Amino acid sequence: MNVEDELRDIFGNRVLTRKEDMIPYTRDASFFSSDIPLAVVIPRNAMEISKLMRLCCENNIPVTVRSGGSSLTGSSVPLRGGIVISMSAMNRILEIKTDDSFVIAEAGVRLDDLNSELRKKGFFYPPDPASSMAATVGGSINTNAGGLRASLYGATKEWVLGMEVVLPTGEIQQFGGKTLKRTKGYDFTALMVGSEGTLAIITKAILKIRPMPEELGRIMAYFTDIENVGRSIMHLKSSGFIPYIAEFLDKGSLESVKIAKGIDYPKESNYLLMVDMASTHESISRLMEETSSVIKRFNPVSISITTDRAEMEKMYEARKGLYSSSLLLRESRDQYIVIADIVVPLSELSSAMREMRDIIDRSGIKAILFGHIGDGNIHGNIFASPGSEENRKKVEKLQLDLGMVAIRHNGSVSAEHGIGVEKKELLREEMKFHNSEYTLDIMKRIKEVFDPKGLLNRGKIFD
Amino acid sequence: MEDEVSKCINCGFCESVCPTLPSAGFVASHGARGRVDLGLSLVNEIRTGKRSLRVSDPFYSCLDCFACLQVCPAGVNAGKVSHLAREIIAETDLALPQEKDLAAMIVSVTMEKMNPLGLRRECARWSSGLSFSKNSTTLLYTGNMYQLMPYSFALGRAGKILGEEAFVSASRFIRKHPDIAGITAFMKNAPMEKNVNLYLRSIYTLLRKAGISFQYLGEEEPYPGTFIYDLGYINEFSIYAERVTDIFRRRNVTEIITIDPHTYDLLKNQYPRYVKGFDFDVRYYAEYLQNLEFRKTGERVTFHEPCHFVLRDVKDFDLKRMIGNVSKMELPERSGKRVMCCGGPAELLFPDISKNVSDERFRQLKATGTESIITACPVCFSNLKKDDSVEDVSSFLLRHLM
Repeated sequence: MNVEDELRDIFGNRVLTRKEDMIPYTRDASFFSSDIPLAVVIPRNAMEISKLMRLCCENNIPVTVRSGGSSLTGSSVPLRGGIVISMSAMNRILEIKTDDSFVIAEAGVRLDDLNSELRKKGFFYPPDPASSMAATVGGSINTNAGGLRASLYGATKEWVLGMEVVLPTGEIQQFGGKTLKRTKGYDFTALMVGSEGTLAIITKAILKIRPMPEELGRIMAYFTDIENVGRSIMHLKSSGFIPYIAEFLDKGSLESVKIAKGIDYPKESNYLLMVDMASTHESISRLMEETSSVIKRFNPVSISITTDRAEMEKMYEARKGLYSSSLLLRESRDQYIVIADIVVPLSELSSAMREMRDIIDRSGIKAILFGHIGDGNIHGNIFASPGSEENRKKVEKLQLDLGMVAIRHNGSVSAEHGIGVEKKELLREEMKFHNSEYTLDIMKRIKEVFDPKGLLNRGKIFD
Repeated sequence: MEDEVSKCINCGFCESVCPTLPSAGFVASHGARGRVDLGLSLVNEIRTGKRSLRVSDPFYSCLDCFACLQVCPAGVNAGKVSHLAREIIAETDLALPQEKDLAAMIVSVTMEKMNPLGLRRECARWSSGLSFSKNSTTLLYTGNMYQLMPYSFALGRAGKILGEEAFVSASRFIRKHPDIAGITAFMKNAPMEKNVNLYLRSIYTLLRKAGISFQYLGEEEPYPGTFIYDLGYINEFSIYAERVTDIFRRRNVTEIITIDPHTYDLLKNQYPRYVKGFDFDVRYYAEYLQNLEFRKTGERVTFHEPCHFVLRDVKDFDLKRMIGNVSKMELPERSGKRVMCCGGPAELLFPDISKNVSDERFRQLKATGTESIITACPVCFSNLKKDDSVEDVSSFLLRHLM
């Protein structure tokens, strides 16, 4: 039996081998793409994946796992061909236990769908990457996704209790468990978070959940000066105000939101600081006033408070769609976006933001800045033009320079998007800066233990 | 096409709301993002003069519901991409043979018979015994849509029974001999015919109670050409729309009362693009019912909003308000801008996908736990009629008329 026959033996008609069917699996939300893979399979359970991995092991076939296909660094692109595992059909929510504070969901469950079910019980799963409409449980664990609410709740790593995985050699294993704490040797659950599909295939996960906040309020503060945006958030946090969400948009981002969603902004402003606070019905007004008074010390040109859910939702959606809607600012139809994803400690934010702005202005490359400022995470959407070697070099240099700002300010080159294909060099730079290049060697050795034949997601994180 | 696909950054938001993706077994090319990806590949092929891709099925399986557009931050309309791709496919050899044959058969019979099944006489039967104002400049235009449901249902079933090969052969034969299409008159679903006739007569009664006088074309009434347009046969559609318009003009029509969302959308938004001087006042019948008085009851109903109204920003009438005024109306979880299609538009070419979509939508509608489900489109009714709780808005309103 050849490989295709064996695949059909395992998956029946859930094996795609026609070029036309496989084209969509050659791209994700990054600017990377690949050639057509050998095949795409759509499993329904861990056992099928286990059989597949044994087959791939025997035949040395590379495997790339794909779920929502919303990676921004090319992690789900099958660069080395082989077989793509689409986790889309493994999209069941298996158990919601509010008394034990967890939900068990298969890897292909989209985060918005998960929260839609949890909401019915008054609970939610806090990690909310801007891509939550498309992003899935499996993908967000693999990139340690953060999102808007990470300001208060932290990134995905804080919310994963355990998981079921299929190892590259075909074994099905359980990591972690259903309890809120445990100590049982090496923490493989933590190791899997951010591993970008290079160590094992996550099939389901046990995730912590929280009751929904009783009341939310929002402050929209517009500034002319970038450093005052950073100072505002730093002082808010040091004064004990921990935002539920704290987002920052520069003028280009505001313009993009205006075009896409019709949400206008004061002409004289260059930056928006959007701060959401969570509290009780009784205290929300007082909290919003107090939060607002801290921000007012940094001279916003305009500041307003709202608790209107519809108004808040509109801007929330606009912010979540910003990566895509910023494409409306392109100067030509073939321009594409390279996205920076740096993070610095809050105390460094103000000066780091100033440096980033200056570097962009000097680069001669169009870029917009926005991000989850509440946890020091700034994104830069850099507009790149294909076909121009000069432009390509400039864009690469800009990406590197922005990453170096983070490194110099004790931050990191990747806050929440992962390394993928795109940030491998930046990762090396960060390790080098901290004299920790040996860490990269340890990572490679761990990879060899899990995946001796190097089948899973080749060419991602490191070569 | 290039304008539309080049706006896409591949974020996948559209895929998460596209009804056909899960219904096609999560094959990405049958989801909104996959269609845009294929559209991009198609553009690249055309640019380089290649013809290697056979990409028709993902574009034919698109329901044109525009759910994708509602969530796309960059304003990409995968439905539009599908439509443009179908236009390209209609003029080239990029389709799989079986789909091309079936599509061409439908277009050919419609062009010849002014009805996709050659059943204009059957489509006029509902009006037996009713009186119309022959000289009125207002036309009640059913577009044959309600009337075709009992037959299209049977046609889809025949396709399954015959199998692909025999169905394709039959399509080819009928294409050459359009008169044969009339054989479908013997394949009707009688209970469905009883239902749609009741709804057509309910619409008639509501309009008359509202004091509206109108003419009706009877056996002369043509199908509006929805299939021809949807399948991407634009040249044929232009010719066809002209012929339909000529009939309106010959009957001195100035105002057209449509009774289903597909015909309303086609006449309101597409006919003016393809027919020079198409200046008829096109309306939906509910617009005329605003002054009628209805009884408020405690009946609990769930309303399945037609995507052609909700997702295409129709503002002239508010069916939700009308239904809510006479009952305790609930909406399913996916409603408003997140409404989910009934799956009907894929019925003919992809009956399995269509059935999966409609099963899921029916489950969502049932989950509200109300006594009945109200639809406002013959295609939705036909696809969601899985038990006796489903009813068209026309008879529902008539029952509540004071």
